[in-house]
Amino acid sequence: MVYVGPFETADSCRKWKEEYDLTFPVVPDEEGVLFQRLTSGWVPWSILVGPDGEVLFSENEFDETGFSVAIARLFHQEAEAEPAAPESTQPTPTARGAPDTANIVILGGGAGGVVAANKLRKRLGPDHRIVVIDRSPDHLFQSSLLWLMVGDRREDQIRRPLERLTRKGIEFLHDEVLEIDLERRRVRTREGPIHFDYLIVALGAQTIPESVEGFSEMAHDLYSLEGCRNIQKALDTFTGGRVGVLVTSMPFKCPAAPYEAALLIESYLRTRGVRDRSEIHLYTPEHQPMPVAETALGGAIVEILRRRGIHFHPLFTFEKIRPDTREIVAADGHAERVDLLIAVPPHRAPEVVRSSGLLGVSGWIHVDPETLRTEHEGVFAIGDVTAIRLPSGKSLPKAGVFAHNEAEVVASQIAYEIRGRGRQARFDGKGYCWIEIGDGRAGFAGGRFYSDPEPRVRIARPGRLWHWGKVAFEKWWLRRWF
Amino acid sequence: MKVLDESGKSVAAGSKLMLEDLGLPVAGEHGALIVFWKRQ
Repeated sequence: MVYVGPFETADSCRKWKEEYDLTFPVVPDEEGVLFQRLTSGWVPWSILVGPDGEVLFSENEFDETGFSVAIARLFHQEAEAEPAAPESTQPTPTARGAPDTANIVILGGGAGGVVAANKLRKRLGPDHRIVVIDRSPDHLFQSSLLWLMVGDRREDQIRRPLERLTRKGIEFLHDEVLEIDLERRRVRTREGPIHFDYLIVALGAQTIPESVEGFSEMAHDLYSLEGCRNIQKALDTFTGGRVGVLVTSMPFKCPAAPYEAALLIESYLRTRGVRDRSEIHLYTPEHQPMPVAETALGGAIVEILRRRGIHFHPLFTFEKIRPDTREIVAADGHAERVDLLIAVPPHRAPEVVRSSGLLGVSGWIHVDPETLRTEHEGVFAIGDVTAIRLPSGKSLPKAGVFAHNEAEVVASQIAYEIRGRGRQARFDGKGYCWIEIGDGRAGFAGGRFYSDPEPRVRIARPGRLWHWGKVAFEKWWLRRWF
Repeated sequence: MKVLDESGKSVAAGSKLMLEDLGLPVAGEHGALIVFWKRQ
């Protein structure tokens, strides 16, 4: 075992080794060259290398199942389950003839599921059944939670009943998926089993705040409706002190969200007249904001944070929250006191996916980057539940824009297979997002994430126009798909 | 520095990593686990 310390010196590594009595080598990476090349830009990152130099595993906080498979391979033992190939660029050929009346089941009514259902309904005749299953009765436009957090939106403005899809000839089942049975080609819900000819897994990432010690006692969840309601109440009564915005672990969806949250909160506290009695700190395991993109993008966001007096703590190896002393504690015991804590909880694939056999070594579903097919015939996965390795070696960020674009591709793939004509779209890795910075202004970043060797992403200068662009997009999206 | 695999991409499962060339300790009999970590 070897520890590599990004941006550490030989001297600091020696002290580190002595202080913690580490029995294995601790190697400095003073300029961060190895860190930039071998990781997705955050800590911790683990790479398992065989004696011949072959990389068996290269992920951040690893999924236990995936890591066991890699270890088993290392010792030349037979693993129970082989992971899906992470980087196939070829579509899986289908030997099966398309059914005359297909059952297309879509798991999840988030951005990906809703777009896929709409697009399929438009392309396929009424003989083909399209079913969306979600345990929530409503679709929530998640990126608007940031506006709700600072009182700029009401709940009813950012929610839509999924039942509305039935007006378009799409079935909606308000039910929970208990099992994905790939062998028998059916999903089991509380109401019973549903057969599928085609399955689209769009279940997103599950957030698990309960896995963090002290979270429920002290932190507000930035990624839930209830959490954002509570943040709004807390900000309204905040009289000054230290605000912490914390990213507990990687990866997390919507990579700009914690930065937007810090900037919106800064603006909000200024409006309330308590900014001069407050400090805002942002803690993250990332080296820079949105590390998958070019350094210039992260640098531009760090500069905005700096100008607004927000303290940035990169490479923060968070471990737990200590409510009795109101501290967040790093893995090495370093603690920071916080009066108001707003946190991004850990993410993982939903339980039903974890037990389905669809999971890859990363702990997410590995799919073909262009067709979104899994290794199972007729089974696709889109959005946050997937892991797509980019040509740069980093992972495609989890964001609604990708779920949306991937849904369009999957709808065209399935429709083509059923109808035998039309266009078979391919996902090209294009994506964009608005970055709210408060005071009615926003930036805009977008580009090609499949560019080789690195994603080509540009950020436009923040301004009021981009903010209104985001408002218009929210309104268009909710009207277009419901 | 041979940080890239044969196709010129960054490290991923299945690629080769020459630890010695990177200034890292050579893998032992059963390989090596490299962990990027940061002291606060």
